[in-house]
Parts: sequence; C-alpha cells; structure tokens
Amino acid sequence: MSKIILYDCGAEVAHMVNNLFGEKVAIQNSSFDAQRPLQEFSMVIVETGSKKPEQLLQQIKALRYACNFRNIPIIVMKKKSDTYPKHPYIMAGATEILSLQAPPLACRQILQGYLIPNRQPLDQEMEYLTPFINSAKHVLKTMASIDAEYKELYFPNDFRIFGDVSGIIGLSGKAEGTAVITFYWDLARKVISQMMRVTEDQINAEFIHDGVGELINMISGFSKKYFIGKPYHFELSIPTVVMGSGHQIGHPEDVSIALVIFDVGKSSFALQVCLKPKIKKGN
Amino acid sequence: MKVIVVDDSLVMRKIIVNVVESLGYEGAHATNGQNLLEILEHCGDEVGLVLLDWNMPGINGIEALKTMQKNSRLRAIPVLMVSTESEDVKVEEALASGAKGYLSKPFTPEELATKIKDILG
Repeated sequence: MSKIILYDCGAEVAHMVNNLFGEKVAIQNSSFDAQRPLQEFSMVIVETGSKKPEQLLQQIKALRYACNFRNIPIIVMKKKSDTYPKHPYIMAGATEILSLQAPPLACRQILQGYLIPNRQPLDQEMEYLTPFINSAKHVLKTMASIDAEYKELYFPNDFRIFGDVSGIIGLSGKAEGTAVITFYWDLARKVISQMMRVTEDQINAEFIHDGVGELINMISGFSKKYFIGKPYHFELSIPTVVMGSGHQIGHPEDVSIALVIFDVGKSSFALQVCLKPKIKKGN
Repeated sequence: MKVIVVDDSLVMRKIIVNVVESLGYEGAHATNGQNLLEILEHCGDEVGLVLLDWNMPGINGIEALKTMQKNSRLRAIPVLMVSTESEDVKVEEALASGAKGYLSKPFTPEELATKIKDILG
C-alpha cells in the first residue's frame, strides 16, 4: 500500500487527502522533521498558509534532500487567498502546486498520477545500464575504499536534480549520450578525501569540483570496454562539473534518461545515464 | 630522480604524486601534453619517468608520447600511461607508440607502485 506523509497540514488538507484516497493509501500527518528519511513514502504533502513562505521554501529544500534522489513527489497545497507565486516552490524542489479550491476530481487525478509506480527498465536498457552500475561500484571501491550499494533505478520526467555537485561527461561515437554523477556535498567530501588519503577538513571546493569530474570520467571509461563490438560503444569527452542545488542537466533528445541511486551508509548519490546507438544514414 | 605526473585532474595528480613520493622519488606535475613538453624542454635530463594520462585538453597523452618518441633526447625517458582508456586497442596503441607500461584507472596505490617499480627497477 502506498504511504503519503502530510507535514504540518491543517484539518482542511488532511480531510481532503483522506477523502480523495480513503483507505487505499496509508496517510500519516506529522510535524516537520528534516532528518526523517522519506524513502518509505510515495508522496509528501505540505501546505502554505500556516507558516511564512520563506520558511516553507527552506522546508521544501530540506525535504528534497531527505528524499535522497528518490522519485518522491512533494506536493504543495495552496490556499486561494495565498498570493505568493508558485515558481519559488518549484525551484526549491516541489513537484506540483495544487490549489485547495481546485475541483476534487482534478486533484485526485493529479495526485493519483504521481502514485503510479515507476516503470521497470527494459532488458535492452539494462544492457547498457548494468556496466555503468558495476563500474560506479568498482571505481568507488578501488579509488576510495567505499562500498556503494545499488538501490534502485527509475526514469525521471524532471531533468532537475537536487544534489550539490554533478560531474558530467559527453559520450559520442557509435552511440551518443551523457553520463552524470551527482553527490550531496558531505558525501562528495568524504569520497574525495578517501581517494586522496587525507582528512575531510583538508578537502576544499576545488578538490570536490575536480574529483567529481574525475569520478565520472573513470566510471564511463571503465564501462566503455564492456561495449566493444556493440552498438553502445562510445568515446569519452572531457568531463565538466556543475555545482548548486536543483541544477538541470541537458541530455540528447529522444533518449530515456535512467537515474540510478546508490547508497553509501545513510547518504546516497545518483548516476544518470542516457545512451543511444546512432542510427546509420540510409537505414 | 624526478617523476613527472601528467594529468588534467588536480585530484588525480595529487593521488599519483603521493604514490611517487612514497617510493622516494621527487614528484613534479604537468596539466597536459603541451605543459609536459615544455617542462621536458627545460629539464628533460633530470626526468626518470613520465606518468601520462591519455584524455586531456590541448595536446593529449598519446600525442605527447609520439612527440617524445620523435625527439632523440626525450625518447629515452620511460613513459607509463595512466588512463581511463582501458580497451586492448588503446593499450596496444600506447605500447606501440613507445610507452613502457600501461595502467588503467581506477587503480589502487599498490597497483600504481608496482607498475612504477616494474619500470624503474
């Protein structure tokens, strides 16, 4: 059964959500807790009005971090009298802003859409994703003595990724695409410090910037040899790095983007892979 | 003896230089092939080994290696390629171009140290 958590929601929102879903989902109403992991929930709902918008924005950012890259929608229920714009909530990590005055049927359809389980990868998608998954684990183990555990994989519709630093590499040749690794700051610092065999306090932003780029370079390079003689074979470009929460990564068009989540202790990192064989001219 | 580490990644240069210095050699670094060739131009006689990445902006590793091989003064300096490129065809190209050894990334410090010792004895 799907589980929805309502954070700091008043009786009106709780009543509405209960009416929409009845006993089909387990609904929990709790006080805001930034430290609580959200992996077990299929949806998070917050509401405007009971606190200042700036405070709610901070809470949404914290909730997005607590999702640990999982595909968990954060829904903001907005009162009609609330004139604060929607855009800052989306930028902070919210998935959807719904008006409390919207017709219940429309709300139900929208919310139910977010509860549809993620599709499973096709065998042909796993053919190119598996080498990247194995390579990511191998690179972290070899270079940093870190055990990364593959947890799940999904195909996001949203190109934004709410980490702190992403290493990006373009792949071209027989196949083309991109591979992106995204970390939260603390885990990036830990990984780079263990790669360099120094303490975490010796790791500055420059090391993290450079090290995350080198990680995606090694992961892609190590994956590459598994594609020899296959249509997914590619050449590597020089990696680039983007910093900042909620940054958006460009990918080639018409290709599924897979987001693979790995856990390292209580933290996580994400690997996005999109790869497609080039269609030969004349075919 | 001076060992030059050529890699466009600051983190990778530091990792490799740490291993080089732990073996008792003097570590120096260059950020790409062009930078390496400039250093060798001035102090090539002091260099006992070059650890060379492949994919770098500007003059890349394989181009720098081939340039070294065409220079009678630099040809004698042994080169260990240290690269994310791990396919046999790339390894063969590097060895055919004059590299004395090849190490694929990722690697452990022990694997790197063994490769260096294999070349320097």
